Amino acid sequence: MNRRELLISSSILAIASTSLFSNVAIAAASPSEATIVLSSDENGAPHLDPIRATLLSVTAGLIYDRLIAMSNDHTFHPHLAESWDESEDGLNWTFVLKKNVRFHDGELFNADTVVWWISKFEGSANQHVSSAIDRVVVVDEHNVRFEMKRPDPNLLYNLASYFMGIPSPKAYEAAAGNFGVIEAVGTGPYKLESFAVGQETVLVANEEYAWGSELSENKGVPEIKRLVLREIQDSSATFLEMDTGGADILMGVPTEFVPRLALNADVELRNMPATGVSYLQFNTSSAPFSDRLVRQAIAHAVDQEPILKAVFSGSGATAHQFLVSSLEESKVQPEFLIRKDTEKAKQLLDQAGWLLGSDGIRTKNGQPLKVRLWSASETAYKRMAEIVQAQLKPVGVIAEVALFDSASLRDALRKGDHQLVISHYDWDNADILDWCFSAKNIPHPNSSRWDNPRSEKLREDAMSGARNWRERVAKYKEYHENLLENFVFVPLHEFEKTVAVNRSRLAIPERIRETTVGSATLLDTRWQ
Amino acid sequence: MSSFILRRLLAVIPTFFVVSLTVFLLIHLVPGDPIDSLMRAGSSPALREQMAAKYGLDRSLFEQYIIWMGKVLTLDFGTSIIQGRPVAALIAQNLPSSLTLGGTAFLFSSLAGIAAGVLAAKYYGTRIDSSITSGILLGSTIPSFWLALLLILVFAVWLGWVPVSGARGWSSLVLPVIATGLGGVALVARVTKVSMIEIGRQDFVTLLRAKGVSESRIRLQHILRHALVPVISILGLRIGWILGGAITVEVVFARPGLGSLLIRALNQRDYPLVQGCLLMLSMAVILGTIIGDIAQAAMDPRQREASK
Repeated sequence: MNRRELLISSSILAIASTSLFSNVAIAAASPSEATIVLSSDENGAPHLDPIRATLLSVTAGLIYDRLIAMSNDHTFHPHLAESWDESEDGLNWTFVLKKNVRFHDGELFNADTVVWWISKFEGSANQHVSSAIDRVVVVDEHNVRFEMKRPDPNLLYNLASYFMGIPSPKAYEAAAGNFGVIEAVGTGPYKLESFAVGQETVLVANEEYAWGSELSENKGVPEIKRLVLREIQDSSATFLEMDTGGADILMGVPTEFVPRLALNADVELRNMPATGVSYLQFNTSSAPFSDRLVRQAIAHAVDQEPILKAVFSGSGATAHQFLVSSLEESKVQPEFLIRKDTEKAKQLLDQAGWLLGSDGIRTKNGQPLKVRLWSASETAYKRMAEIVQAQLKPVGVIAEVALFDSASLRDALRKGDHQLVISHYDWDNADILDWCFSAKNIPHPNSSRWDNPRSEKLREDAMSGARNWRERVAKYKEYHENLLENFVFVPLHEFEKTVAVNRSRLAIPERIRETTVGSATLLDTRWQ
Repeated sequence: MSSFILRRLLAVIPTFFVVSLTVFLLIHLVPGDPIDSLMRAGSSPALREQMAAKYGLDRSLFEQYIIWMGKVLTLDFGTSIIQGRPVAALIAQNLPSSLTLGGTAFLFSSLAGIAAGVLAAKYYGTRIDSSITSGILLGSTIPSFWLALLLILVFAVWLGWVPVSGARGWSSLVLPVIATGLGGVALVARVTKVSMIEIGRQDFVTLLRAKGVSESRIRLQHILRHALVPVISILGLRIGWILGGAITVEVVFARPGLGSLLIRALNQRDYPLVQGCLLMLSMAVILGTIIGDIAQAAMDPRQREASK
């Protein structure tokens, strides 16, 4: 009797445990393969076709090379274009292309490729990157000239983005609309082996590679022969994979887990240059925040320091203007910077007619100053909302916090019932100002509903009035200062992505010159 | 028998329409918009309208439903707005992973549940019985996504026996199977135990004992065989949950499958994909239940008669 029962129950245990132990060896990655967990904001890229894509991950940067490489100080460097030249009026750009560059399918990269490639953007989701280009002229096999409809000082930035990675014309045409789904052919240091949406992408080293950009020491074949790029939706699982050695690189450590990973001796944490800013958004179209004085008071009531310390454990920086600080357009005159000044906040509210009552709440015409403060439900946003709520109370403003999932929040912002919203953007170009505050983008993405004739004039001038990069910087700076003096937002925190590396297995270069760990960094990465 | 099957299948048709309408309204009435997920800094408002028109989002809800239903009836589930690929292809790509996890979890809950039930019945009233019963009950009342995290913490982080997440090799299947199947184990164990005890009290068991048949033989060959009838009908009902039971577990373990596909699509408000996945999952539950019914009816003629 006992034997039989034992047999039944223990057989299940036995099956489970044999599969357990026999597979532990298989699960451990072989030394030639590195596992990278992508940052959550890059999860879910549906395909790897840069021309049609609206979301691409670092994977695309490994498969496709670009004409230009951008470093983290926002300077531009040669990659597939050896050099370039811009005419005085900004209407002609000449690019000298690198020779002997081949796609993964053996096709040669030359001037004809560029002509074909630029034409492909017409009618695509990324049409705007090439909209200023009138036509591309082949000068000779390795020389092309872009003739512009209008000057586009942002051209180099666009050419350096993932969306302007160059695919192989032959493979692209052959795939007929399915390019990037099962096949992705570029000239990059890695070739696609397999791609499963939302799961993992496996890349193998391109053994022919010899044309790395100026940003890497190694211009040739990468030392890491095989990369597994995984996508994990759950942030706890992401952290546990890194903490237990299941991942070699974690591209974006979830904020709440940074202190925990710092305790792991095998894990090296690197902060990347800031690529985004969190800010408090006003609905400027309705009371009380249609009043500039009230907006300014709130801006002075908020203290950025506790947010940096409590929410981000000191990682990143306090933000006092709207753009990431590596951009030149962020260097506004000091008087425009938004800083804490509680006394001034109280004074401004008095001036605006909101007077302090005996219960500590301000009122005007019998209406208490109670406002809705909305935020996405993710931990970092939620905590920022709570801190802002606590900071507004001493000046007599009661903020009621409500949390939404991000899609519902966007929808609610469209409807316009919001008053204060904790927002965030990830973008390292000054044209984010146009995206967030252009009157033509009301109700979304301009959910601040900012519509002001002077701002609009400055914005249009910045967007299309500049002939070259320097003029563009000056014009954007002026537009930026205009928004700051109108207190259209309250900058809170400049976000730096933290990358975690398993230092017992991988050595990434001491100095990373890219904005994130991408192809140049991985070319220089070595096994320990 | 064939008329029984036919009647059951015909009853699916109205259910299908009610389910499809619910699924459609559910996702469309939730705030949010798939086009937002497609826009990035620099995209023009004109592109937005163009996209909305392309996917028919500018039409009324009623029109959208009729168009979608018309296509579904010809087995065309539409194209995912975000992924730009046919919904049917995406489901087909993810189905095998979900079936592997769901099927193994089903097998696990059947075997472990019956074994636990037999043991609990044998030691009925003792500490072994109460520890098995309360242990399993506890395991089954914990939400599966949380149980999944606990299992990861113990077996992957502290003990290091299995990988934390992913779908590489059989070892990565162990924890998801336990997390998904434990609820079923509790159900099956309880039914087995009660049924074993009931059958054990019948006269033929006393007769077998009087004849001197060994106790283990009586339990496993005679009592268990009879006791399995209600267990099998319970298992039949759970066939339908093979696909639907693992949605959150797939997300926690970062496994491919319909669950991961559905949750991602929900976050991006990818209407055609959410509709396709939910319709697929609910039809799996309905059809699974019917298969269970038919299997039971085939075993037990009283069932067929009763439904006439």
